[in-house]
Amino acid sequence: MGMTGYVDFGYVTFIALGAYGMSLGITYFYQVEGLGIWIVFIGFLLALLLASLSALLEAFIALRLRGAYFAIACIGINEGLRHFIEGAKLWGGSEGLIFSGSLIQAVGRETANQLTTFWADLAVFIIAALAAFLNIHYMRSKIGYALTAVKEDEDAAKVMGVNTTKYKTIAFLTSGLLGASVGAVAWGLKLGYVFPGDVFVIHYTVECIVVVLLGGAGTLLGPVVGGLIYGLSKYWLAIIWPGFQLLIFAPIIIIIIVLFPEGVVGMLKNRVRGTALERYLL
Amino acid sequence: MILELLGGNLAHGLLLGGVYGLATMGLSLIFGVINVVNVGHGQFIMVGAFVAQTMFTALGLSPLIAIPAAFVIGMALGFFFFYTVIRRLVEAPELTTLLATFAIGILLEEIAKLIFGADFRGYNWGLGKIELAITTIPLSKIYAFVGSIVIALFLYLWFSKTRLGTAVRAVIEDSEGARVCGVNVDWIYALSFAIGIGLTVMSGVLLTMFIPVGINPYMGGTYTLKAFVIAVLGGLSSPYGAFFAGLIFGLIENGAYVLFAQIPGVAPFSLTVSLAFWMLFFLLLLKPTGLLGK
Amino acid sequence: MKSRSCMAVAGFVVTLAFLFPMYAFGAKDKVVIGHPACLSGKYAKAGEQAVGGIKACIDWVNNVHGGVTVDGKKVPLDYKYYDCESKKEGVTSFIERLITVNKVNVVFSAYSSGLTLAGAPVAERYGMVYMDHGGASDRIFQQGFKYIVQTIGPGSKYHEGTLDMIHHIDPKVKKVALAYEDSEFARMTMGGAEKHAKALGFEVVFKRTYPKGVTDLTPLLSDLKTKKPDIVIGGGHYEDGQLFTRQMSDLGIQVKALSLVASVTLPSYYEALGGRLAEGVMGPSHWEYGVTYSAAGAKKEGLDWIGPSQDEFVALFKKAVGKDMIPEYHAAEAGAQVLAYVKAVEMADSIGQDKVRAALGKLKFMSFYGGWDVDDTGMQIGHSMIDMQWQEDGKRVIVWPPEAATGKPIYPKPAF
Repeated sequence: MGMTGYVDFGYVTFIALGAYGMSLGITYFYQVEGLGIWIVFIGFLLALLLASLSALLEAFIALRLRGAYFAIACIGINEGLRHFIEGAKLWGGSEGLIFSGSLIQAVGRETANQLTTFWADLAVFIIAALAAFLNIHYMRSKIGYALTAVKEDEDAAKVMGVNTTKYKTIAFLTSGLLGASVGAVAWGLKLGYVFPGDVFVIHYTVECIVVVLLGGAGTLLGPVVGGLIYGLSKYWLAIIWPGFQLLIFAPIIIIIIVLFPEGVVGMLKNRVRGTALERYLL
Repeated sequence: MILELLGGNLAHGLLLGGVYGLATMGLSLIFGVINVVNVGHGQFIMVGAFVAQTMFTALGLSPLIAIPAAFVIGMALGFFFFYTVIRRLVEAPELTTLLATFAIGILLEEIAKLIFGADFRGYNWGLGKIELAITTIPLSKIYAFVGSIVIALFLYLWFSKTRLGTAVRAVIEDSEGARVCGVNVDWIYALSFAIGIGLTVMSGVLLTMFIPVGINPYMGGTYTLKAFVIAVLGGLSSPYGAFFAGLIFGLIENGAYVLFAQIPGVAPFSLTVSLAFWMLFFLLLLKPTGLLGK
Repeated sequence: MKSRSCMAVAGFVVTLAFLFPMYAFGAKDKVVIGHPACLSGKYAKAGEQAVGGIKACIDWVNNVHGGVTVDGKKVPLDYKYYDCESKKEGVTSFIERLITVNKVNVVFSAYSSGLTLAGAPVAERYGMVYMDHGGASDRIFQQGFKYIVQTIGPGSKYHEGTLDMIHHIDPKVKKVALAYEDSEFARMTMGGAEKHAKALGFEVVFKRTYPKGVTDLTPLLSDLKTKKPDIVIGGGHYEDGQLFTRQMSDLGIQVKALSLVASVTLPSYYEALGGRLAEGVMGPSHWEYGVTYSAAGAKKEGLDWIGPSQDEFVALFKKAVGKDMIPEYHAAEAGAQVLAYVKAVEMADSIGQDKVRAALGKLKFMSFYGGWDVDDTGMQIGHSMIDMQWQEDGKRVIVWPPEAATGKPIYPKPAF
């Protein structure tokens, strides 16, 4: 899926580190006089920093491993990191960091309320828009072609003079930074706490992959359509039959995959191939 | 004192490792033959655990009888899911099958919850224990270990001595080549998938002989992750590699604890778990074909 | 790369789908309790219990109590719940939906300290009373949230009674081992237990944690065995309690007393261990079937009594879940929370959030669940823990404190 064809099971690691960055920023800086609301930005920067480091690490692995091996290595990093934080009692260990109180102390109750709800949600929208924009931008630029080449045949791409190392690193950094931003805002700021066992959860990545595949990988509309199908149907099933939504949901996913192995958008794309509509579906 | 503790733990680790090994063989077989990463692996182990628990508590049957029963149930499930879902996806990208097995996993969990409820169950076989100088070992653990070895050996013989087994190996090596040589590759796909699932469900029974408590619909996730690690240690597509990697994993999981416990101010248990994953990570970088790979 | 930004996009769309505006009509002729219940996922067991307990007590309020009295009018209670799948995203989005779409009047927390914390900022933002019957961490109440009120007792007190009891029965016993799950809640319990043990003159010979979701405790227990403790206390959640006991027996670790949090009090614990291994094991609990709280007892202590008697509650619970199942403490504390809310609304004579919160702060009463009283931060201080022990033939006996006890403790516990 995607352009490089690398399945990144470690995506959740970026989100988790983002949440940790935000939590660390607020926990360790809230008592510093005069910082006020800036601690949130410090947290955000820490989030980006931590994620960049791990993105570089993953990019380094991606240079050596492919396919399922790469996916499993990413799982390894994620689980290893989680248990290391717990085992070495780093950053509060398994007790995690709870910073709602610190945030309230630093910026006041009203501002804290606004930050954790309105501004956090708004930031998520902005990051989403940014992600979509970058997606289109990369797809239409040289980077997109280079990455597609990597996906089709990495060795051939290399021989043809594509600097695969450079483009892979760009790809991982972008994804790491986006992931960390989401984590810092949606899992950090919005929730007010972080426990290692709660954030380093591979299951979330699997869910994202499900969404992308449902919609159709390698298309722009794919994730959107997949997300809508996945999110809405699960949400409504949970409302209509609380407790039974997954029982109904699982066969639906299976049926969709069997009927449309290329995803819903992929299927539509094949239908409209050659017509004017094709352009809009990318 | 420490040596004694280390020895005792390694003994337990070796026994557990055998079961881990068997629990991973199915995953490796399926990956090797049809290139499908079975994300629902742990959920099939869960099915096996429920088979053992139900047969013991409801019918009063020994887990030793549950072993073949679980294999048959697993084969049936394997064929069912192969012909309804996986067969149509063999040629599809890796991720599509990953998604399919993920959904199958959820389906199994929810059906198990519907039938058995979310309670944590267990059973008490009560076979007795052996007292050693360094530790105490319950007999059921030894049965589970011996059972794993016997099954692994049996699989080995089947692979190397029968026509069908040879055909499976041929498909792992080169499925196109095998097809050209007249092997019915589609049938081999179905059979390997079914055997893989059969082995996995069966290992669920053996696992309950080791740890006969905590059986519940959501127990599978942990085992999926462990099996991934072990499968890679063993070279991913090699079932025997997986078996030996399981042994090693069991030893490390139990042995490293003693060493980490000597460091003050840390939680040695979490560090031990962490170690397993870092080991995997470095191994992948240095020797992606697995510990026993070429 | 695309794969990853794809994922980012995908993640947002899921989030967006959750935030999708949805409209409903909230009728004002009833009082509605909202609850992001954990009906699937890792807390499914506790979630089922809580929903049953809440339904049982609502049944009582509507049909026996005649509804909630607000402005001199009796209004029925209603209950709206969703399945959060034991996930923090589910908790936050469903609480938001409960408040904005379903127009509920109060929100009950999900289960566990983490999920309770996840929901707190949302409730706080809408100024909604948020009642916690499932998050035992003391730290929830150190964050300065204004609208949170706890029914479950704080985690640090779980094992204090156990230690008191053992000290009372056998003052000579000294060596205690602590082995808890590495989770927010269990660590809190461990901290409280360690402090209390030292105060009572015990010697802590072993103190370790094990990670959540562990499937083999052999290394830790082998280590524990070499320290030769007289009593062992620990635990965390459900499955690890079964595993803990089972593997102690496998390793032949014989002690005078064993007490584990959470798992021991459940019938499934006894069944899973085939009965015999569970005998003599103790567990602290908020509530157990058989406790002797009654209207008469409340009167003696000068407390108001509200709600069904214990047997009535059990009958209502069975009706609510549609199964012949004895409620556990998760059901009792969720049920008692309904009663606390009703009591507070009637005291304030309003469903206004600030008035109800103020009334909850002053409220002090007793129900089948025991005492209820919170401090300034909203933390529960009026409820005391009990200790139960499995005795011959699967009898659950409440052995401590003496005023609630239904039998004598067996000490030392029988060998495995």
